[in-house]
Amino acid sequence: MRTFRNVFRRKFRAFLTIFGITIGIFALVVMGSLAEKITLMVNGGTRFYADKVTLSQGANGGFSSSPISVDTIPRIQALDGVQLASASVGFTLNKDQGASFGMPDLVEGNDLRGRDLESFKLTYAQGRELEPTDEDKAVVGADMVKKLNARIGGTINVRGRDFTVVGILDKTLTVPDTTVDIPFKDAQSIFYNDLPDLVKSHLDPSKLATTLTIYPKPGVDPNQLAKEISDKYPEYNVIGPAKFQEQVTNSTRIFTAIVFGVALISLLVGGLSVINTMTMSVFERTREVGIRKSLGASDGRIVRQFLAESALIGALGGVTGLVLGWLLVMAANAAGASSGIQIFLLTPRLAVGSVGFAVLLGVVSGLYPSWHAARLNPVTALRYE
Amino acid sequence: MSDGNGGILKAVDLHKVYELGKDNLVHALRGASLTVRRGEMLAIMGPSGSGKSTIMHIMGCLDRPDRGEVWLDGHRVDNLKSGALNQVRSRDIGFIFQGFNLIPTFTATENVALAGEYAGLARRQAKAAAVKALRDIGLGDRLDHKPSELSGGQQQRVAIARALVNGPHIVLGDEPTGDLDTATSQEIIEMMRQINTDTGTSFVLVTHNPDVADACDRKVCMRDGLVTEEEVCT
Repeated sequence: MRTFRNVFRRKFRAFLTIFGITIGIFALVVMGSLAEKITLMVNGGTRFYADKVTLSQGANGGFSSSPISVDTIPRIQALDGVQLASASVGFTLNKDQGASFGMPDLVEGNDLRGRDLESFKLTYAQGRELEPTDEDKAVVGADMVKKLNARIGGTINVRGRDFTVVGILDKTLTVPDTTVDIPFKDAQSIFYNDLPDLVKSHLDPSKLATTLTIYPKPGVDPNQLAKEISDKYPEYNVIGPAKFQEQVTNSTRIFTAIVFGVALISLLVGGLSVINTMTMSVFERTREVGIRKSLGASDGRIVRQFLAESALIGALGGVTGLVLGWLLVMAANAAGASSGIQIFLLTPRLAVGSVGFAVLLGVVSGLYPSWHAARLNPVTALRYE
Repeated sequence: MSDGNGGILKAVDLHKVYELGKDNLVHALRGASLTVRRGEMLAIMGPSGSGKSTIMHIMGCLDRPDRGEVWLDGHRVDNLKSGALNQVRSRDIGFIFQGFNLIPTFTATENVALAGEYAGLARRQAKAAAVKALRDIGLGDRLDHKPSELSGGQQQRVAIARALVNGPHIVLGDEPTGDLDTATSQEIIEMMRQINTDTGTSFVLVTHNPDVADACDRKVCMRDGLVTEEEVCT
């Protein structure tokens, strides 16, 4: 309480200083929430790709849409260590979808042969899963519900064709959230129709696939298997769990560094303003330091007193920044909810970490001024006007 | 060198030189010696620059002499480490200053309690002691007032309560009536006299005010960094 009063002795100055920290922590919280969301998606993806190998056409780029023939499956399955290979056709929901933040909206048709081997079990908020016999039916990912205005029994449109919604997925925080699942045959025919005529003429729609998911036999290392397949079929892009992790980590690392760099620069400015404020405060209260020393205050007590004040400035700025950042994150996510684009994730560790960092910043910034105060000679300090 | 009979506080051959700038040395004390008797009120008078404040600061353990010794209640204190010196300041010595020197953001109670806390009392105990000290001195109705809400005399009484709250052997005052009008000065002088009589606490008062000196048991004069026993001291 006394510390509080001391900080607010100069109200306007205290407010400005706290506001400086607030801006820094606000930036840290907002930027951090962005980074946390990406980390979460990456981790979710890592889990999604944990124990299997995916194979797609083209030696670069993870999710090529150039077709593979399902005739490849028996050859892959003949390999040692392969239990089963399942085919799927995937494409973006909107034909012209360019680069977007996070996961693009996808349509996928899977031949469902690997259903029992899949370790990433999907759960359903409503309805049921697709069956091999289904036609013109769809299962909608959690983030797609609002975007497509989907409900069980209703219809959704995928590239000009209507599908009846039979199931809605629970949130997975990764790929399935932004995916519409349709039967394999339907996906094949839509994909085929949208291919250029020149390409079409060489292809049989019923043989089309864009990705093969390869399930290793129990006890077989999927990374090792991925390498073997890759060596054998260098024309394909083969990705095991480790390679997936490596790809996403590389692409997010730079982004995360920039995000935190920006936040840290604003905090550096905030920290300098705390140093300035505390130094001013110590000079103004030189006489008070003299009084306290004449009453027998030890150097340590003087240091603790001023450190408590700068820590309080940090804490107040931190909490305010956290609240403002939280409000913005909530508002942005609420605004993005309808389109399924929620790009922020404010995690407890980020919240606690930000405020903790603000307090630490306050303490570190207060070190020099406090030390200066403690070293004052009591007689000189008492004479100070 | 314990001196239980006469000296509660004793300064022996104190020397102190301040360096105000290059080639500008001020010899504030040039071998000053002074004994404060147990239970007495002693006035230190003398012209400006004679070393009054310096000797008080050194005897009050706020500053160290370049040479010489300070003894408090039979213990040598001038050579103590700063931690021990803090303890002496907080427990054995009380200070009263000309400008009252209260902390402006603190209430009367908090100002007094701070001295208790520095002497090692828990915050609650220190507050209780402060309230008692303020009531004893007639400020029971001003406990939660800040210095700016008190008159000069009331502020000086808060400072006296703060000086006394830890039951010190001795109270040192640097021009305690310097900022007060004549009537209020008289009131403060009488109050210190009363405390001295009631508790036996010794007072050393650096002053220009002849009324203060007259109220004391004894007065000494400082001149050119030395203590003299002159009757007329200007």
